[in-house]
Amino acid sequence: MLGVWLYFSLCSITFAQDSFQIEGSVVNANTLHPLEGANIIGKGLFSISSATGTFTINNVVEGTYSLTISHIGYSSETVTITVGPKMDTLKVHLKESVIELEDVEVNGKTHKREAQELATVSHTVSKDFLDKNRENSLMQTLKNIPGVSTINIGSGQSKPVIRGLGFNRVVVVQNSIKHEAQQWGNDHGLEIDQYEVETVKIIKGPASLQYGSDAIAGVVDIQAPKLPGQNSLKGEVNLLGETNNDLLGVSAGIQGRKNKWFYRGRLTYRDYGDYKVPTDRINYENYIFELHDNNLRNTAGKEADVSLGIGFISGNLKSETNFSNVNAKNGFFANAHGLEVRSSSIDYDSSNRDIDLPYHKVNHFKITNNTSAGIGNHTLQLDLGYQNNHREELSEPVPHGYMPIPPDSKERIFDKNTYTLNIKDSFSPNQRHDITAGVNLEYQDNNIGGWGFLIPSYNRFTVGAFTNDQFEIHPDLHLLAGLRYDYGVLDSKSHYDWYPSTVNNSDGSTSYVYLQRAKNKTLDFGNFSASLGISYIHQNTTYKINLGKSFKMPLANELASDGVNYHMYRYERGNLDLDPESSYQLDLEVDHSSDSFSFGVSPFVNLFENFIYLNPTSNYYETLQIYEYTQSKVFRAGGEIRASTTVLKNLQLDASAEYVYSRQTSGPKKGFTLPFSPPLSGLFSASYQLKDFLFLEKPQIRADYRVTAAQNEIVPPEEVTEAYQVLNMSFTAQMNLIKSTKPIEVRAKLNNVLNTHFYDHTSFYRLIDVPEPGRNLSISLTIPF
Amino acid sequence: MGFSTKYFYILVLGLVLASCSTDDNAAKDEQKPTIDINYDEGFPQACSQLVRGETYSFKAMVSDNAELASYSLDIHHNFDHHTHDDQDGECSLDPKKTATNPWIFIENYSIEDGLTTYELSISLTIPNDIDTGDYHCSFSVIDKTGWQSRTSVDIKIIE
Repeated sequence: MLGVWLYFSLCSITFAQDSFQIEGSVVNANTLHPLEGANIIGKGLFSISSATGTFTINNVVEGTYSLTISHIGYSSETVTITVGPKMDTLKVHLKESVIELEDVEVNGKTHKREAQELATVSHTVSKDFLDKNRENSLMQTLKNIPGVSTINIGSGQSKPVIRGLGFNRVVVVQNSIKHEAQQWGNDHGLEIDQYEVETVKIIKGPASLQYGSDAIAGVVDIQAPKLPGQNSLKGEVNLLGETNNDLLGVSAGIQGRKNKWFYRGRLTYRDYGDYKVPTDRINYENYIFELHDNNLRNTAGKEADVSLGIGFISGNLKSETNFSNVNAKNGFFANAHGLEVRSSSIDYDSSNRDIDLPYHKVNHFKITNNTSAGIGNHTLQLDLGYQNNHREELSEPVPHGYMPIPPDSKERIFDKNTYTLNIKDSFSPNQRHDITAGVNLEYQDNNIGGWGFLIPSYNRFTVGAFTNDQFEIHPDLHLLAGLRYDYGVLDSKSHYDWYPSTVNNSDGSTSYVYLQRAKNKTLDFGNFSASLGISYIHQNTTYKINLGKSFKMPLANELASDGVNYHMYRYERGNLDLDPESSYQLDLEVDHSSDSFSFGVSPFVNLFENFIYLNPTSNYYETLQIYEYTQSKVFRAGGEIRASTTVLKNLQLDASAEYVYSRQTSGPKKGFTLPFSPPLSGLFSASYQLKDFLFLEKPQIRADYRVTAAQNEIVPPEEVTEAYQVLNMSFTAQMNLIKSTKPIEVRAKLNNVLNTHFYDHTSFYRLIDVPEPGRNLSISLTIPF
Repeated sequence: MGFSTKYFYILVLGLVLASCSTDDNAAKDEQKPTIDINYDEGFPQACSQLVRGETYSFKAMVSDNAELASYSLDIHHNFDHHTHDDQDGECSLDPKKTATNPWIFIENYSIEDGLTTYELSISLTIPNDIDTGDYHCSFSVIDKTGWQSRTSVDIKIIE
């Protein structure tokens, strides 16, 4: 076995007149992958390298220090550095002592190495990526990852889509607790403050095994932020301004740790006006909407978020409790309430910042506790969560059909309480097996209000138990196998219209009836999930193959909808006989990375036995087209490909492409694709590192050129979307105005440089022919302290 | 391991090719039906005035590339000016008012199998006791596949 060389670089910057900061990074020499969890210990100094291999030691007094860098599985090395105003960069090579450490080799793995050994195809996003790609919402920021797209509702809201599937088929997890809101809704956006997020793991495939029902297409796993260093206190203020929607945003975060106790907190506020589109009129069906000043009327919004966390760490015990509250209010495009054309006496054009009807507001409150304890060779993890999601859709009261003018503007109110408990035990009976077993419990209490009925109130209880084993066949060959069983009960409540409808009886008489929309009904579901995969690492290349079966319990809207969806101007009808969706997916991945070149390809093939699909029928209910939940077989295939290279010393080129092919192979829409299918799309990026100039350090310019093919694969009521190319440019640098403080991060980003008029096939507003936002200049500053 | 690596590459390549190959586009209906009232017999025309107690024949021409399935007619008041039609030209609207006994006509009809063009014709007598004023008349048609087209006309009902 070859010795592993570690590339260890230390770079440091001055921190204060007599107090300095040591910064460094730990990298594996062979793979150039960062090494996490290395201990850096000196007299009075301590740090642990992060997932990106970096570490910092704050408040170091001038002098000469001896630092010992150790990592289980690698031999320790001692280096001597001189801390002062002009610190040299140190490069130290560490050699592994194979013979001595063979017994603990399994424990000495980096997260990167662990991810390589895991057969699951996942992608980890660092804070650096998030900062560089920051857009208006978390999901829009993640859109640059091949295979990830979004369904946007205006400029401030978006939902995750992975390989063309979204809504309840993608699970969002934060601090190990599944985020539960109104994901099924067309106009719902993810309620998470993106500034709170440091690391995101994206799984592009079925992951029910670990995440339970709904993780049928993928997972966006927002991981707990890194532990602050001992006796540290740091914070940052982020300022953001945008020209397209006149956005002003501020977010301030702080985190600190004494010895065993740590805490963090963040406040975020954003306020934006209507966004501008590169057109002055919108032509939807035969209607023409003239836009004032290119403003998409009434798409302004605001958001205020707060989060607070407190934790304790001692020996093998770690516990952290987080509180967060996200509150947002967004207007909907005024000329069409969803698909329905509306005129109004509201003077929408008097200001581009006011939020008039129709709009929605949402408040998401969350408490989570994550506790882990190491007992012998077992690691126990306990996650507890409580969430309240309160969402209101408000619109001008308008009579419809037999419904008279409603008394107020509260069209739909959803209030949801979710209680979560996860228990997990990971243990290694011997060095070749890593076994995990656990139980997930979740209880939801969903209530409704407002005059527009769409789904009934319901309670849902789910319980799942799983076990999986990561087996090391050979140090470079790992097998992962797992099995899970879930059971769920859904209890829906009856609902009657608040107004009578005219019913023509068969005997010729007419009666006026308060129609029943939902019945008291209890339904239960059970399902197996399983996964089997191997990972093989050969030098700088990782090969993975994974076969998984995942499932999704039918949702309340799929089972029990029976009403007019005014937003979509259609009548939606559920089906109580739906089976749980089950999906089989074969994933492959080849990932190669070397010094100056990296390449990855990740194709997949996916079969749904019974995809739940909202089928537009050829029948009416009171003159509205009936859309009925049905199940069909679906075949999907596709994948992502990416390559990046450092051509010149300062020039990096990246290219990626994503494609999904979907076909319904049975049912009323046999031969058709699925709704919101993302078209073939490629992203080409070039970034160039400039020399430091003036007060700017590490200045970098980047161009992102997205080329998207036409989407001709459509299903009613969609329209074909033309191909487009759009160019984004950005400039980032660090500003070191006062030498004694940390540098200020500056970013200027120009989106849609050429003000291109284009449609995004997966945008909510695409259905009413609204183009994507026009040119936008955003300036952001991150001021650390 | 070199041998299995080779197989792996072949498998990957095969899957990429398989996933990119285009197969069926066989006779998939991707066209919406059309609906038209802008012909001589089409009724009502934009801004028409209809008299209470009279009987009218509501007519529109619908067509589809494949097969028509059903149509509907929805007549409701527009006393609150909540919407406007999609026809050329703007009709003058009466001042806003509160509805007391507005006319509501909601009906769905199916079209016999196999037709690609059809003239819908609905004979209606406007009740004598309903509120006069601005009304909105919406036609809709759906084809067998589930594509829908709509059109709407502003009309006025007078004494």
